[in-house]
Amino acid sequence: RSLCSVSLGVEGMTCGSCVQSIEQRIGSLPGVMYIKVSLEGKNATVLFDPSHQSPESLSEAIEDMGFESSLPASSK
Amino acid sequence: MSVHRKHEFEVAMTCEGCSGAITRILNKMGDVKFEIDLPKKLVWIESDKDVDVLMTALQKSGKEVKYNGTK
Repeated sequence: RSLCSVSLGVEGMTCGSCVQSIEQRIGSLPGVMYIKVSLEGKNATVLFDPSHQSPESLSEAIEDMGFESSLPASSK
Repeated sequence: MSVHRKHEFEVAMTCEGCSGAITRILNKMGDVKFEIDLPKKLVWIESDKDVDVLMTALQKSGKEVKYNGTK
């Protein structure tokens, strides 16, 4: 089974603890294999199983946490 | 007019990003009035919603949340 990778824009993080809570929460979602959040890049790179998650569902999960998230323009 | 009770929650917020996230979550719920004291890590919410509902919403932020009762 092949995995997908997506880089989502994340707005509203200001410190390491924001980064950590996103990595922990999104990283524990079913189908998420790996997540790396960059504070400076204001983005999250996620490696996921497309049968469990989609770029849209991941973006929604980040929005649910109270951050603004945007999909990469190329996925549209 | 219904009487809103004021609930006090302790949320493990460490920066403005954290309190901003809480603000956005609560704004999305609608029908809640709230105040955030970042240095004290406290969130006061005035709402008719159940404590459980408020608690679940706050926990969505991925932070530790403690309920301190009504004030």
